Amino acid sequence: MEGNIEQINLFLNFGLPFLILMIAYFFGSYIEKRHFRSIRKREAELLDFPVVSFDTMPDDWNVSRSDMVTGSIVISLDYFKRVIAGLRGLIGGRIKTYEPLLERARREALLRMSEEARTQGYDAIFNVRLETSRLANARRDGKGVAGVEMLAFGTAVKFASRFANSE
Amino acid sequence: MRFVAKRQKEGVNVSDTHPLVEASTLIVGLAAIFAIIAVALIFVVELALYFVSAEDEANLFGDWLPDDLITVAPNDERLYQTQLLVDRLASHWPGAPYTFRVEIDDSEIANAMALPGGLIIVTQGLLNQVESENELAFVLGHELGHFRNRDHIRALGRGIVLSMFFAVVTGNDAAGIGIKAADITLRGFSRRQETRADEFGLGLVHSEYGHVDESWRLFERWNIDGSSFLDLVTYLSTHPETGDRIADMKRHAELERWPVDGEITDLSW
Ligand SMILES: [Zn+2]
Repeated sequence: MEGNIEQINLFLNFGLPFLILMIAYFFGSYIEKRHFRSIRKREAELLDFPVVSFDTMPDDWNVSRSDMVTGSIVISLDYFKRVIAGLRGLIGGRIKTYEPLLERARREALLRMSEEARTQGYDAIFNVRLETSRLANARRDGKGVAGVEMLAFGTAVKFASRFANSE
Repeated sequence: MRFVAKRQKEGVNVSDTHPLVEASTLIVGLAAIFAIIAVALIFVVELALYFVSAEDEANLFGDWLPDDLITVAPNDERLYQTQLLVDRLASHWPGAPYTFRVEIDDSEIANAMALPGGLIIVTQGLLNQVESENELAFVLGHELGHFRNRDHIRALGRGIVLSMFFAVVTGNDAAGIGIKAADITLRGFSRRQETRADEFGLGLVHSEYGHVDESWRLFERWNIDGSSFLDLVTYLSTHPETGDRIADMKRHAELERWPVDGEITDLSW
């Protein structure tokens, strides 16, 4: 009976957190891989759609109408990423588990903005900016991050005649 | 200006390290660091024990009480009787450097502990569970054994290490695993201390009553009685498995030719 209690203790102390961590990793990485696949596919579809960060329009753009377009995304951290980042926080260094998360957020926000612009019939976006904001805290003690929000915005333009003045 | 369509470059912003590699490096590394710190602190405590004598310790902590201790009323009969019992047992330890003081903590979890300066704390939970003076005498004798070997200082060292770790990693579940690993490492060291304290306590009980009957009856009850499952787990966290423990005590009594049957003294409250 004592042996059983020791084993139960061992499981509760080490096995269970490990199991939860692995389950979180499994779901988190599945979702992440799927998201990256979707991002690459949609980026390929938007390959010929100019999205630039110039704050003034190139001189040769002959524009008939324009509007501000935005794209934003909110992604939650999974338990695995949060725990590993927490460990990283003890000794310092690159928080490697957060990097793909921010990468996904940036590209998804840009994609949503571009897709929106294209749906509205625009031909390009200039003066593109990215903003990020910190959402609610994950824990009641004010520590931890619940997720990341990324906002992309820019000025979408419709050309009077497509690349009329080019070259 | 001409627009040339290009694919997004990938990879610069994301490290190549596989997340599982990152995770295992961090977890194993931190567990190792924690274990090294724990072992280093054990060494420091041993050094302190070498340089600070029990007499110095008794002088330093002679009237010290933990801040968070919630005691029973000072005129409680159980307090008086337990103190008396400790004094009787300690009289069989000639030249003891401590003046032993007993306090009763109002916790319902059965436990007893030895603290610096000769302070013995027993919980109400323990007093509720002992059924004879002999049972209680052994638990108190065991704690006196810790003073004899000065394990209480080692236990304090262990407590300091663990609370230090807790302060560093508050709220991080994975780092919590590191703390548990350190705890288990430290616990390995304390098993031997428990056995030695048991043997010393048994000797005191024998000197006082002329036999060691009912010394381990409390543990036998905990072993059989499923209802004290929780108590058993908390008790296990600092003490050896009760089954082994009883066997060890029986073996020791046989070796020393101490009678295992004798007259049982009822509790005086
Ligand atoms: Zn003990």
